[in-house]
Amino acid sequence: MSAWTVVCLKELKDTLRDRRTLLMMIVVPVLLYPTLLIVSEQLLLFGMRSLEAEAAPVAVVGEVPGELARLLDASASIVVVPIGGDPEGAIRTDSVTAAAVLGPSADAEGTRPVTLLFDGASDRSRRGRAELARVLDAWRDTLVTARLQERGLPETFALPVTVADSSIARPDEVGGYTLGRILPLLLVVITLLGAFYPAIDLAAGEKERGTLETLLTAPVPAGAIVAGKFVTVALTGIVAAGLNLGSMLLTFQTGALQLTAAMGLEVSLPLSAVLLIFATLVPLAVLFGAVFLGIAVRSSSFKEAQNALTPVYMLVIVPAMLPIFPGIDFGPLLALTPVAGVSFLFRDLMTGDADVLLGTLVLSSTALYAGAGLFFAARAFGSERVLFGDDEDRHEDRAVGGGAGWLLRPRGGVPSPRVAVGFVAMVAVLFFYGGVQLQIRLGEPGLLAAEWLLLFVPAVLFVAVGGYDARRTLSLRGARPLAFLAGALLVAGAVPLVWLLGWLQTFVLPIPWELLEGLEELVTADTPGRLAWLLLVLALTPAVCEEVVFRGVLLGGTRSLAPWRIVLLNGIVFGAFHLSFETVIRFLPTACLGVVITWAVWRSGSIWVGVLMHLLNNATIVSAASSRALRDALSDPEAPPPLWLIPLGVIAFTLGARLLLRASPPPAGTDGSAARPEPTSDQSAEPTTDRNADPASDHSERTR
Amino acid sequence: MAGAAASPWHLSDQRPSPMIRFEGLTKRYGPLVAVRDLSLEVRPGEIYTLLGPNGAGKTTALRCLATLLRPSAGTAWVAGIDVLADPVGARRHMAFLAASMGLYERLSARELVTYFGRLHGLSGAGLDARVGEVIGVFGISDFADRWCGRLSTGQRQRVSLARALVHDPSALVLDEPTLGLDLLSGRTIHEFIRRERDRGKAVLFSTHQMDEVELLADRVGVLRGGELVAEGTPEELVGRLGAPSLAHAFLALVSEAGVESGPGGSGPVPEPGRAEGLR
Repeated sequence: MSAWTVVCLKELKDTLRDRRTLLMMIVVPVLLYPTLLIVSEQLLLFGMRSLEAEAAPVAVVGEVPGELARLLDASASIVVVPIGGDPEGAIRTDSVTAAAVLGPSADAEGTRPVTLLFDGASDRSRRGRAELARVLDAWRDTLVTARLQERGLPETFALPVTVADSSIARPDEVGGYTLGRILPLLLVVITLLGAFYPAIDLAAGEKERGTLETLLTAPVPAGAIVAGKFVTVALTGIVAAGLNLGSMLLTFQTGALQLTAAMGLEVSLPLSAVLLIFATLVPLAVLFGAVFLGIAVRSSSFKEAQNALTPVYMLVIVPAMLPIFPGIDFGPLLALTPVAGVSFLFRDLMTGDADVLLGTLVLSSTALYAGAGLFFAARAFGSERVLFGDDEDRHEDRAVGGGAGWLLRPRGGVPSPRVAVGFVAMVAVLFFYGGVQLQIRLGEPGLLAAEWLLLFVPAVLFVAVGGYDARRTLSLRGARPLAFLAGALLVAGAVPLVWLLGWLQTFVLPIPWELLEGLEELVTADTPGRLAWLLLVLALTPAVCEEVVFRGVLLGGTRSLAPWRIVLLNGIVFGAFHLSFETVIRFLPTACLGVVITWAVWRSGSIWVGVLMHLLNNATIVSAASSRALRDALSDPEAPPPLWLIPLGVIAFTLGARLLLRASPPPAGTDGSAARPEPTSDQSAEPTTDRNADPASDHSERTR
Repeated sequence: MAGAAASPWHLSDQRPSPMIRFEGLTKRYGPLVAVRDLSLEVRPGEIYTLLGPNGAGKTTALRCLATLLRPSAGTAWVAGIDVLADPVGARRHMAFLAASMGLYERLSARELVTYFGRLHGLSGAGLDARVGEVIGVFGISDFADRWCGRLSTGQRQRVSLARALVHDPSALVLDEPTLGLDLLSGRTIHEFIRRERDRGKAVLFSTHQMDEVELLADRVGVLRGGELVAEGTPEELVGRLGAPSLAHAFLALVSEAGVESGPGGSGPVPEPGRAEGLR
């Protein structure tokens, strides 16, 4: 038996004895999912039945002719309740669900107007309206028939055209279409959950319990240990996904579900599609396993690994969700996007129109990413800095072979201000050329791709390849809930103030009308689906990608400067970055926002506060532009913001600032956790290493 | 200088060749020097104790030997194998017991020992025989099928030893093996260490407990600030420093005051200049 199989078999045994893993790998996919589905359907059916079971109380106001009275009596689904003269009040107080207000009766050839009053915000009232309308329609039909008979005309006289619609999709195609939107996300998430805990347990957990030290003294190359662990993690992901796929298909295909039957949906995936879906899950599980393991092994405890992996989890969900949104065409670019390609391929396999070329592209690119992830994980296991990353090893310097300039420096630490600004400048140029191209060619998905590929990915690569301490460089630290609240308040205050600023500068700067029109089209949504998509493209994506670049790398690299310099520099660079693809009138407002967000991140030490603030700001603009009431007020840059908003903004802003000042102590130098000089350290070298040590330790040095 | 110790290299030809050998091993963490120019040897049938206060570099030195850390300079040999050139080969001849014990909570003692037997390349009947043997030797048959997570500290330590010894190595490297154990469990470990020595194994173990040194050590090396400041048999050390006991000798060696007021003249006491540099 080769070494890696020994490791793998042991890890499998160990993992299968872990209740948490079992839950995520077997119980959740097999039991919880169908149970939840059935329960929610039963609840839905129960709700529908209870709505339909009782007759809806309705009222009819005005003089009721005989035929109508007879029809009202005959209907079992409504009961007429006598009310006074106030039908609106009666609906409001729930004494009736809907009311028909009959207008004055017409002569033999006239039209009698009837108004149906109901409460559009109540399901009961809407149903009462529908039932009442049905009776009124029947009444109208009898009147029409009577009039036609009177003149000796056939019934078809008043019915010159009939329209009946018929979907050409087979019921199983409709089912596949419906499922194809939800299932990919679920499959991806379950695969991820299956690999999540084993990865943490096998890497960070092993470090935390001290077993890794023992394991690495066995006469086995590190590669075999990584391979064994990795296969275990990938296998649990595959098993979880396979079980989930099977249980889901069974749940739908047994036809036990009343709702799917009632909706005329049929789900029958051909065996070949099921096998292909499973075949796609394998490289996906491999990718997750490798990435999770590589990240988890860099953490020193279970909890730390969980914190480090949660953002990854979020990052996976976003591309996995894309097939849910309408109007995104699955093309080569998406096929090459990690996770998104897999998710779309699942959708196409379920609807039965998968493209061989795209499928091959997805499979091969995912395999490629998985290989890269594996390399990343294997490297981590080979690095003693990663394995014994406790305090005494923090200053570990490792020879870095090859690479030019800044690569030839000790690993760890944060980039210098010059390097950080240089990086941001490079990214801005890249984004200016590449981003515009992507946007022209692909439209909105191009914008999405540009943010992730040209901002996020370069930033992550910069930190990884440069060998910087990701936690410190990107401020990947949690913050107290108070700090998040403070951030939200700061944004709530900043939005109207920045609006005011934008308005004020229109007196000085020219307004680019054509550009504004295009912009308005871009940010205005008229359906909920479109709004969700816009929020993804214009709010969530920039909040993550741009924060990683500006409040991540740029702030991380400039932390050694004076606070006001950090904040101002960041704001100006942030504003200038937006200048490149928008217009000059965006500079000042964006720069101001940048200053506020930078200050909050600097003060709280957590990039997540910045992500939240950025997200809130952008989401507010998108939602406001999509709201019919606010659109007009917003679309005219020459109109001042509502004045009552300004004092509210000032209050919110002040409150947020005070809260943040109270919630987080000022950051001490670059890193509060800077190691104190140990008794064994070389005195001569101390000044350079502990530039940031707090004054207290300096003092104790001198008194000794 | 550490080289001024009791057993210089040129003598090694006349004695059994060393099973464990450090040669000028230095480990730096950035500007911090955890182990500086460490040279020592442990011969078969010898117990060598690394004595030093917390943070003296004991664990770092042993980790370098166990191929867990890469020395910044110098190297070490186990059974004649350079740990830098052939780490996997060196591990084959070595038992390493880390201070943290490190047992898999969800494996039984027998499964754990078997797992490490397999990792050491044992299989089939040979593996079963060896696992049965260590389980017997360390008296763990009673709880061999219980999960390690449910064992007491003393039981865990015995399982750890069985795990480390399953491949019958010729060099034993133990990092504070009695840490956190009660007297009885500690004595079991001591007996085991002596037995292995008598079987011709080279034992290198670290501790900061004086009684352990007096009980077991054939030779002692005192580490301070990453440097070997004294080496010899316990009797030699006491005699050389004119201290009433080993504990006094140790204190004198590792505390600054002790060095300054200690007996001047010959011996491995570092020169004042270096002592200042260490602080």
